[in-house]
Amino acid sequence: MKNKTDRVKSFMQYLTLFIGAAIMFLPFFWMINSSFKTEKELLSFQSFLPKQLLIDNFRQAWEMGDFPRYFGNSVFVTVVCVALTMFVTILAAYGFSKLKFPGRDLIFTVLVSMMMIPYEMLMLTNYETIRHMHLFGKIWSLIVPFTSSIFYTYILRNFFLSVPDSLYQSARIDGASDWQYLWEIMVPMAKPSLVTIALLDAITCWNSFMWTMLMSSGNRNIRTLPFGLTAFTSEAGVHYNLWMAGATIVVIPMIVLFLFCRKSIITGVSRGGLKG
Amino acid sequence: MEVRIEDLVKRFDDVVAVNKVNATFESGKLIALLGPSGCGKSTMLNMLSGIMPVTEGKIYFDDRDVTMLSPDKREVGLVFQNYALYPHMSVLENICFPLKIKRVPKAERIEKAKEYARMVHIDDYLDRLPKELSGGQQQRVAIARALVKRPKLLLLDEPLSNLDAKLRVEMREEIRRIQRESGVTTVFVTHDQEEATSISDYIMLMKLGVKQQFAKTRNLYNDPANLFVADFIGNPTINQLHGIYEKGNFRPDAYENAIPIGRYQIEDGSRVVFASRPESVIVEKKNGKTVMEVEETYVSGKDTLCVLKAGDGRLRAYVDNDSAPQEKDLVSVSFRDRGVFVFNEESGERYYE
Ligand SMILES: Nc1ncnc2c1ncn2[C@@H]1O[C@H](COP(=O)(O)OP(=O)(O)OP(=O)(O)O)[C@@H](O)[C@H]1O
Ligand SMILES: [Mg+2]
Repeated sequence: MKNKTDRVKSFMQYLTLFIGAAIMFLPFFWMINSSFKTEKELLSFQSFLPKQLLIDNFRQAWEMGDFPRYFGNSVFVTVVCVALTMFVTILAAYGFSKLKFPGRDLIFTVLVSMMMIPYEMLMLTNYETIRHMHLFGKIWSLIVPFTSSIFYTYILRNFFLSVPDSLYQSARIDGASDWQYLWEIMVPMAKPSLVTIALLDAITCWNSFMWTMLMSSGNRNIRTLPFGLTAFTSEAGVHYNLWMAGATIVVIPMIVLFLFCRKSIITGVSRGGLKG
Repeated sequence: MEVRIEDLVKRFDDVVAVNKVNATFESGKLIALLGPSGCGKSTMLNMLSGIMPVTEGKIYFDDRDVTMLSPDKREVGLVFQNYALYPHMSVLENICFPLKIKRVPKAERIEKAKEYARMVHIDDYLDRLPKELSGGQQQRVAIARALVKRPKLLLLDEPLSNLDAKLRVEMREEIRRIQRESGVTTVFVTHDQEEATSISDYIMLMKLGVKQQFAKTRNLYNDPANLFVADFIGNPTINQLHGIYEKGNFRPDAYENAIPIGRYQIEDGSRVVFASRPESVIVEKKNGKTVMEVEETYVSGKDTLCVLKAGDGRLRAYVDNDSAPQEKDLVSVSFRDRGVFVFNEESGERYYE
């Protein structure tokens, strides 16, 4: 039997959670809500909810801005980035956890300490590198600097370290090569962590703004959605309803992705795959 | 497949884990690798499987030198002490894995895996994950996985140490049956002498990396090569009296009488250990022969275990309940021919008649 103080306590807990959730949710709701209103409705503040579900804003925004192209660019960059990052992360994590070579732990420590360097500082060197690779203004300039991540490698390496060596020996005796062991045993075991990493990376890529702005200053054809949206707000004039529709277009794919992977993320996070 | 090891040595920095071991494991036999903790049993097994490189010496499978061969090419099955099942795979997938690596077609490998699952009586649990199985069930999965690829050599590293007493006895009979059915040469590591004697055809007993004796299981008990072997094998442990050998007699320390033990090739006056199995000690009513006092008696089943006092030393003897003496009685003691050995006190080396 729950007594009274328990009930009060759990009520307070739910209340706190509810307020937190509401604060998180409200801007999204506002954005989506506004994207269905006509401009007049939006500015008159007469009703909270739209009178009708107006799809027209989306159509207009989609056509006025260069959204189809931005959308295509975003999808391409995100998919390629995530795929390459996953590949590199898996190999690096395996190398730094299970292979033996001189200086392994030292090199890794140096890499980890490099996470301290602020991203803005790296932008300069990355910019130079891209220029020298003659990729400036090409879509690959949005991908090449983001094909590896020390942070994700660190997470995955921690997981790999927790796998006992007897599994490796067992797999070797079962006839597997190092390569087969990695892909048949380690990677499937790490699936929850990998899904979490992939999703985090997808969100980061999708939302990447500064770098895209820098790179696409030479070529508007490689703009992705977030920068495209900003450009749209200045190019399309002050139409809040259209801005909101554009913003909705930008976030919806990530929300859908999140809903699909929700379960894996929760297991990935709750078993400590993301701690540290 | 016959396994032959020649002058096998494994060193870790300053520790010599396996020291110059020679042996031939006959094809189709079950060999127990026995010895106290840290004597190099696992090291030996790991070298046979190829997951640990050898420092010196050679390993032959039949006539093939496999010393440098990597584990995936050796065609061995290994059951680890902790089973090392793949945690994300079901029982069936675990057993299938070696065949999957060999690219056996899916239908065929599932059929094969099921066949071996039946053999180890695990076929009711094919869809479970390892963590949903008991220790004994996990072990059987590990055995099935090791056998499914039809290895030429099966290696088991203390596979029963995690099980309770009853399951241990059951499982060792099971292992014996599976080994007989499949006819695979098997090396079984254990530090439990009773487990080793109950299961094996041959026993190799080791101490600090050195082979002490490698012989048919029965011979290890009846014909130990040195004091360590005599002491390690047998329950209760063999009686040991320290003393001096003199002209066919043995004089235990601090004991007034001599025990006639027959002629050995020992210099008179040497210090020796006189060892006798409890069932080789004959206890009679006092009749003038070597007399000892009964210190304690324990009834166990149809026999009574008597502890006899011989100076500083103690002798344990099995006597029929009906003719058992009382505590404090004086009795006469003599010895059978079998199960009585004399060893050098210092080196533990055995003296022969
Ligand atoms: N990787 C290693 N590095 C250094 N020394 C080791 C290593 N593995 C084993 N040893 C040493 O080698 C010796 C033999 O070890 P091993 O594991 O073969 O013993 P064991 O007979 O299997 O013992 P147990 O019954 O406890 O499993 C021990 O002294 C151990 O400390
Ligand atoms: Mg061991």
